[in-house]
Amino acid sequence: MKKFASLFHDLDGMTKTNDRIDRLVSYFREADPEDSIWVCWFLAGNRIKGAIKTGQIRAFVSEKVNLPIWLVEECHDRVGDLAETISLLAGSMGSARSLGLNQTIRKFLLPLRGMDSDDRKDLLFEVWDHLAMEEVLPFHKLLTGGFRMGVSKGNLCKALARVGGVEPAVIAQRLAGSWTCDDLSMQDLLNPADNHHESINRPYPFCLASPLQEKADTLGQLADWQVEWKWDGIRAQLLTTGGGSGMLWSRGEESIEESFPEILECIPHLPSGVCLDGEILAWGREGLRSFSRLQKRLGRKQPGPSVQKKEPVRFQAYDLLRIDGEDLRALPMSERREQLEKLIQSLPNYLPLGISPLVHEKDWASLENRRKESRERGVEGFMLKRMDSKYESGRVKGCWYKWKVDPYVADMVVVSAQLGHGKRANLYSDYSLAVWNENGELVTVAKAYSGLSNEEIEKVDRFVRKNITGKFGPVRGVKPKLVLEIAFEGAQASGRHKSGVALRFPRINRWRKDKKIEEADTLETIRGYAGMNETTFTIEGVKTDSDGNLLLF
Amino acid sequence: MLELRQEGLFCPAGGFFIDPRGKVERAVITHAHSDHGRPGHDSYLCSETCENLLKIRIGGDALIESLPFGEKIKIGGAFVSFHPAGHILGSAQIRVEVNGQIWVVSGDYKPQADQTCEPFELVKCHGYISECTFGLPVYRWLPEQTIHHEINTWWSQNAQDERVSLLFAYSLGKAQRVLAGLDETLGEIFVHSAVFPFLEHYRKAGARIPDVQKIERGKEYDYQKAIVIAPPAVEDSTWTRKFRNAKKGFASGWMAIRGARRRRNLDRGFVLSDHADWDGLLNVIKGTGAEEVKVTHGNGDALTRYLQEDGINCSVLAGAGLRGEEEE
Repeated sequence: MKKFASLFHDLDGMTKTNDRIDRLVSYFREADPEDSIWVCWFLAGNRIKGAIKTGQIRAFVSEKVNLPIWLVEECHDRVGDLAETISLLAGSMGSARSLGLNQTIRKFLLPLRGMDSDDRKDLLFEVWDHLAMEEVLPFHKLLTGGFRMGVSKGNLCKALARVGGVEPAVIAQRLAGSWTCDDLSMQDLLNPADNHHESINRPYPFCLASPLQEKADTLGQLADWQVEWKWDGIRAQLLTTGGGSGMLWSRGEESIEESFPEILECIPHLPSGVCLDGEILAWGREGLRSFSRLQKRLGRKQPGPSVQKKEPVRFQAYDLLRIDGEDLRALPMSERREQLEKLIQSLPNYLPLGISPLVHEKDWASLENRRKESRERGVEGFMLKRMDSKYESGRVKGCWYKWKVDPYVADMVVVSAQLGHGKRANLYSDYSLAVWNENGELVTVAKAYSGLSNEEIEKVDRFVRKNITGKFGPVRGVKPKLVLEIAFEGAQASGRHKSGVALRFPRINRWRKDKKIEEADTLETIRGYAGMNETTFTIEGVKTDSDGNLLLF
Repeated sequence: MLELRQEGLFCPAGGFFIDPRGKVERAVITHAHSDHGRPGHDSYLCSETCENLLKIRIGGDALIESLPFGEKIKIGGAFVSFHPAGHILGSAQIRVEVNGQIWVVSGDYKPQADQTCEPFELVKCHGYISECTFGLPVYRWLPEQTIHHEINTWWSQNAQDERVSLLFAYSLGKAQRVLAGLDETLGEIFVHSAVFPFLEHYRKAGARIPDVQKIERGKEYDYQKAIVIAPPAVEDSTWTRKFRNAKKGFASGWMAIRGARRRRNLDRGFVLSDHADWDGLLNVIKGTGAEEVKVTHGNGDALTRYLQEDGINCSVLAGAGLRGEEEE
């Protein structure tokens, strides 16, 4: 645990990405491989689930250090981070345990999952007595889940690639999907031989698009770009692994085939060793449906036939990354597209598997004009993919761009606040935002926590602390005074907020110090964005445009 | 016996204010930090070792009288004496006695050992007005030797990496405490000009302050392997920009919480505080034997509730405005 603890604290103190990568490399070179693989597992975004609940560990620590539970909660509130709070309170003066990371996890963390409350308590009390001071925080970080330390998966891959002399993309693929430290070793991970067989069971790291920040015509000839609509669904890769079986992986690299059995039904019709990149969309007979319809299928494992019928979905393919087990990612986009079209055309058309149509326009100006159709079509704008681009791992500038429609904006009032996390752990930086309803009341429509500068956050924090009107668990009611301009991608009906509306991707555009709360927007305006002011909409048949794009709504 | 007025805490029997905010005739000052000893009063009374420091802060023309620690004087109907608070050099708790009733105003204090100032003295009293800047049990300090060792290790590592060590510490008190723990063999020590004027008084009082170089405007220095001590106020200023390659640290009790350090984008936080930590607050408050306790600034609500549950008559002294956070 000592080497890991020192890795943890070093990473925690670093502010530059390259320093972090160097530090990881040196850790992987000197640490026991059995410990290293855990570090990879955590940094790949995995966490030990169900080891302990927040309330329980707070109760244990309260008993251990003989402080009332309310005071432990007060401390948690101030510190923001649970692992850090527990560490500061239980922080022991023990001498370093000689156990390694792997042993510590297997002996003190994994067993917690199956234990009853008393055994858990005994085990944790033992840990608290023995951990050395510098081990306390890393231990609790692992216990409560989050160990990110500012290292992205991509940077983890870079570090491992340097250690093993293997391409980062190969590492990324080996780290993708779900795996445990029992079935993947450092040796497998760093194996210089590219195992052909292993690859067809795994998704590829997703190629990500950068937002287009310059004018579109700075991208050169439109003819060099493949243009598609930007779908508003769930990004996923559909894999066939042979023998009629396959998988569906989300961008979060969770396997999600259980939630979408009808998409899995496409698999027997596809050749083996295929990997398709695309978007899962809510899709009825009339065509594309809104994201809120798709949400009815999310998080629903093994949906029954009635849900499948009422809320149908479809896989809209836009890239072909592998066929017959052959990796196509190095081919230019245009060639992959050609192969994708051939493949989709060969399929029976009753399958819930479509292809993302291309948008053809003569120049950037007319394309920009077409972009205005986005909202009506239920899409988020355009995707621009360079015709000659490879399928990269992660976000590589200059290959793929998302050219989104401008967001909606509205002025809203901060009505409550909560302490943030990470860098903002002890600042009131998460805000609930409200607009005026018909009765002249402020009703919440969104929560937002990004967009202000550090300086502004500190100012808001000071304001909040002076203007608390009530406590509701970790939430503090705040005297309505601050007006923020909020940007968001859409609105939809929702039971989560009192207003009956929820916003998609709300974020703070700026602080409207010039505005009084009376000038904030109304609920009616927001409902208008959600299309909720109209009573019904009727759809007659299927409309398509000259490119065969479905016209929606 | 003590009441809260617009200008601050007032003793009617003696006609004086303690650490007043507004302009008053007679101010009794706990210590020379600017949120306690403010300029503009007609006359001042402070501890002997506080006097010179206070002059630097509020100007030499002010009418300042001082009193050795432990010596009692009579002001109107009140007996007043100063007792070391262990916060910074010359910092005092103020004991006020009227008709046999004794109240003590703590100012800022720490019972923890600090080689640069007079050690904290526990004063028995009927009523105690305590600061509680760090009034939560997540704030617990390690011995200063441990922190000094951390700082020296950091400095030495930076020197090895050919990076300047830029360490922020409040110019009065914390900076001197940091200096006293530095290992001079590691390299040259520089101080910002705001830190410098206090040093001679610390030396005179017997603190071990190493030789330092004062950084003066417009002059060039060789900072190789050096450590630079500067007040946190200059953190975002052009002054700091000349240390582009520096590793930045901050010595403060607030550094106990990672969020506070990460938000400032510092490389290191050193948990070195001149205030009482949680255990320190509890020990002192209970140790005074006070029947009535009032707490000012910081997280007063939590400490108050905790003490009340422990059977101690404690409440928050609202609006006292004795904030200590700037100088921590």
